[in-house]
Amino acid sequence: MADEARAEDERSLTARAQAGDISAFEELVARHKDRVYGVALRIVRSEADAAEITQEAFLSAYQHLLELRGDAAFGTWVHRIAANLSVSRLRHLKVAGETETPLEEPEFTDHGLLAHYPQRDWSKGAEERALDNELRGAIRQAVDRLPSGYREVFLLKDVEGLSYEEIAEMTGDSVPAIKSRLHRARVALRAAIDRFYNES
Amino acid sequence: MFTCRDSIDLLQRFLDGEMPEEERHRLKEHLDACPPCVDFLRTYRATPGLCRKAMVDQMPRELSKQLTAFLRQRLRK
Ligand SMILES: [Zn+2]
Repeated sequence: MADEARAEDERSLTARAQAGDISAFEELVARHKDRVYGVALRIVRSEADAAEITQEAFLSAYQHLLELRGDAAFGTWVHRIAANLSVSRLRHLKVAGETETPLEEPEFTDHGLLAHYPQRDWSKGAEERALDNELRGAIRQAVDRLPSGYREVFLLKDVEGLSYEEIAEMTGDSVPAIKSRLHRARVALRAAIDRFYNES
Repeated sequence: MFTCRDSIDLLQRFLDGEMPEEERHRLKEHLDACPPCVDFLRTYRATPGLCRKAMVDQMPRELSKQLTAFLRQRLRK
């Protein structure tokens, strides 16, 4: 119910903003700026660039506000705009010769068995547990270290919740290529979390 | 022979629910006999959720103020 009321409230704010009420638009900005900034920051990894992308995303949302129709949610929409801007910014930032840490892959024995068995199953209750700061730091560092093509796909799919098709349209890559990178990114992040749990 | 490597390669499609019955069956057979792969599957599945929580950010106050100023200036036009 609280969610419904919130969505309803957001629709009415959007309608007011569309009718030219700037304070309604500012309220929408206040609600979404942290997450919009967050996704940009995780993708481009620079506060200054992320702040610029956030500005551009909200300005563009405002300029195209009348194109948003019916039940489309303002939040989802402005996130898509920010994700798109971040992806193209990342393309520009990728300088030739930039060295990236290679992706961490699981090791197997000659027989195709896992070389390092998970020592404990930390998945239990992972959804409900609050994240402690050290784990949070370890995860953020692991995400930052992913090669950019993997990081981008992981953030768009698993954090932002875009579909494979939407990501394909945004990045110009094929769906199978995106799926394969997502899988390898998850495997690498799983390993980083596993290390955290087994070392602490 | 169906190995851990094969099973890990298939996890994503398994979780996406895009797997032919026969392949599914072979994966389940492997998982039934291989507890480490089951732990791998569980922790693999829990990874995106944990990462989502770790990705929550707040826009720094200073940048937030700049955003407000920027929009105020541009929206009046
Ligand atoms: Zn196995």
